[in-house]
Amino acid sequence: MKADVSEELKLLDEMARDFAAKELVDEREEHDRFPFAPLYDSVLSKALEVGFFAVMLPEEAGGSAEPVSALCLVLDEICQADASLGATIFTNALAQEIIRQAGGASLLAEMASEDGSFQQSLIAFPSYNNPGEVDHCARAARDAGGYELSGDVPYVVLGGVVNRALLPAKTEGPDGYSFFLVDLKSQGVEVSEPVLSLGMHSCPAVDLALGGVIGTLVGTEGEGSAYYEAAVDRLSVAAAAMAAGTMKGSFTGAFEYSKEREQGGRHIVDWSGLRIILADMAVKARAADMLVEKAAGAVDREEPGWQQQSRAAALVVGGMATDATTDGIQALGGYGYMKDYPQEKRFRDAKQIQSLLGITHMRRLEFIQRVVDGEAAW
Amino acid sequence: MIEGLTSSTLLEKHPRLEDIMCSLDTVGKMPSGVSGEIRQAVALARRFNESVARPYALELDRKMHEDPTYVPWDIVKEINRWGFYTNWIPKIYGGRGWNLGSLIPVVEELCSECAGIGNLMGVEYFGMSVLFAGWNTRITDKVCRDVVAGEKSGEPCLIAGLVTEPGAGTDAEETELLHKARVRCLARKVDGGYVVNGTKVFISNGHVSTWHISTAFEDTSRPADTMMCFAVRNDAKGFVYGRMEKKMGQKGCPASEIIFEDCFIPDEDVIINAEQIKKLKHSPRETAQQVIDFVVTLTRPGVGAMGAGVARGAFQEALAFARETEVRGKLLVNHEWAQCLLAEMYANAALARLTYMECNHITGLYGMAALLNLKPMYYYMKMMPTALLDRVMPFANRLAAVQQAFRKIIMDRQKEEDALRASGWASLSKFAATDLGIKNCHLAVELMGEAGIRHDMRAEKFLRDSKLLQIYEGTNQLNRLNLFKCLVAPAAPEALVFEE
Repeated sequence: MKADVSEELKLLDEMARDFAAKELVDEREEHDRFPFAPLYDSVLSKALEVGFFAVMLPEEAGGSAEPVSALCLVLDEICQADASLGATIFTNALAQEIIRQAGGASLLAEMASEDGSFQQSLIAFPSYNNPGEVDHCARAARDAGGYELSGDVPYVVLGGVVNRALLPAKTEGPDGYSFFLVDLKSQGVEVSEPVLSLGMHSCPAVDLALGGVIGTLVGTEGEGSAYYEAAVDRLSVAAAAMAAGTMKGSFTGAFEYSKEREQGGRHIVDWSGLRIILADMAVKARAADMLVEKAAGAVDREEPGWQQQSRAAALVVGGMATDATTDGIQALGGYGYMKDYPQEKRFRDAKQIQSLLGITHMRRLEFIQRVVDGEAAW
Repeated sequence: MIEGLTSSTLLEKHPRLEDIMCSLDTVGKMPSGVSGEIRQAVALARRFNESVARPYALELDRKMHEDPTYVPWDIVKEINRWGFYTNWIPKIYGGRGWNLGSLIPVVEELCSECAGIGNLMGVEYFGMSVLFAGWNTRITDKVCRDVVAGEKSGEPCLIAGLVTEPGAGTDAEETELLHKARVRCLARKVDGGYVVNGTKVFISNGHVSTWHISTAFEDTSRPADTMMCFAVRNDAKGFVYGRMEKKMGQKGCPASEIIFEDCFIPDEDVIINAEQIKKLKHSPRETAQQVIDFVVTLTRPGVGAMGAGVARGAFQEALAFARETEVRGKLLVNHEWAQCLLAEMYANAALARLTYMECNHITGLYGMAALLNLKPMYYYMKMMPTALLDRVMPFANRLAAVQQAFRKIIMDRQKEEDALRASGWASLSKFAATDLGIKNCHLAVELMGEAGIRHDMRAEKFLRDSKLLQIYEGTNQLNRLNLFKCLVAPAAPEALVFEE
């Protein structure tokens, strides 16, 4: 993925790799014990410090205003070590992008001027659901003072970790839903215990129950879907980068182990049956790299059809990673299934990455709908 | 019509009809009582699921997430109370003597709710099959009656099977690999018994089992020719529990490390060794393979049944979700594409079931308990009052002559082609059904989107649980090779297996 990146991005990429090696690898198993062990607050603080939560953020909002390629490089490196931090970076970037699409640059700038804790800087968001598909929206009632939100929003990622969330809600006016910023520390917000999930344990989610909570409208009432889909156009490729990184980590783990482990009197890497499995993993990782690099470049340069390229990458690479990480356990046999090795975690994380942005079948239907509506198929 | 002789020549061509349609032979040969037993056994498993497994499965899994050292005695006692640990112990050993053909449909049933709990029950019969496979009636009788007593007293007395070692997993289930394997579990002959040193890993039910049926080797540089098998209680001197593994799934069933430190095994607890098989037809290596095959032809379709179970469980959760979730304003179950997907999932579970049921027929006809399926024997045993057997069998089982007779009949008379068919199909079911199982779990998680990754929605647990099925009882790769060896290579004599 680094064939022709600029010097600046090379530095960012190196920084992400060093960060992963230093902060994520040694304590990986312990970090993954959340919610039955403390959350790695210090890692989140350091990630904030080095700018991972502001890669694409506009400069006036305190960000680096880097293109999506930059975010993809960071996510790839981070997810090779521990995809949970990748999910945190992704969820926050998605919320920021929706606000940006809604013309909320001033809101983002306002947030940037506050204190520098990650609790204050990051935005929680239900990043595994498309509110236009499965209707997990609150209800927003308007009065003289503004909007009051009530109802349930399940699986809000980072909801129990940070102070602010971007939430979908339906108003009495237009058909569609709208987005609101909500202070999670305010009156009427009920936060569940962290929801135990398949993967991404240190990027936890909670279920929110709102009872008349003040919300700040983002953009125009009823236009939530347009902002969401536009953000998904840009950030699907970032989800693909997460999947690619996770699968690379899995391949490395499988490959290194297979050179050490002996069965039937020789290293298992010397059995051709396993070599086929390793080859499939390596080919998928290589293909994922090509897809992500091409799609991210297309998004950055807004080439014709860039939205479909980004979405196709997420669907294809997401699926490849679930297969590759399944094999990544298999190569280690029983040991692959145990927490002493990170292979089982990668399998869980990759499966969860596939669920980002909503049900894959619906994303496939959306893809073909656009072709039906006249988009070029390729 | 084709003449009889020509016809049988045609049917003998590869693939031989009797290798690919085993149920054809079974239909007439099996006692009709078996199907009634399967119905009763499955009904019991369903009642257990409704009242025990479903209400407790998530809680147990969560408990193990929080504290991986938790030993799940509560659920083990419950399974014990329901009679699952003795239902399939033959009457001659003091059990209820349910037909073995009804065991693995129950395994599917339990795993359709929770594969961890299913394994807590099912793996008891792995330990038991290692015990049975050596046809040492004296020790088998002793151990089985302990299990029965443990059911009566309410203090579970379970049996674990110890095969895998840290350096030998795939190796340990195939003599062709075993002779090059790095096994370390050494049984040194001393006066009156053996002294065993070594480590066994990933032992399902290890921490909740009293009796441990273990393999070891008299010469670790020639393991395939010197395999022996013994029974040891967990309170024996030199029997040491190591760690309980932290697993991704099937968390409710402990996987234990067991260490033998100068553990003395008296001769009377040696199930089978080179000395005991001197009078049998086969060489030590052939006998080792035969014993392994006796075990895996029972246990591999059992894992296939677990695959069918998770395939079905994942399907059921996906269907329940589709029936109550609106997507774009319409119930998911009314989206055409979702109906196609659910049909696919239903078929995956059905295909998995077909493989293990086919195996069930083969094991019934040719497996280690085939004798019990001969109609006269079947009905005789069914009618025989247990009380009467209990007065006679403990003594009969101790007689060397009885043991020798069993070994002669079952081990010496087994036809090579029957052994190959059974072993090949066991492998087929094991990898095909478990691949289908994990496939359905992937599909369920995918279909359910945000709900699919939540612990409280169950689909993600099925996915975590299912992955282990592709690994234990011989990885699916090893099982593919074994299928090749048993069912393909006979038609391709130039093929060398395990010799790349």
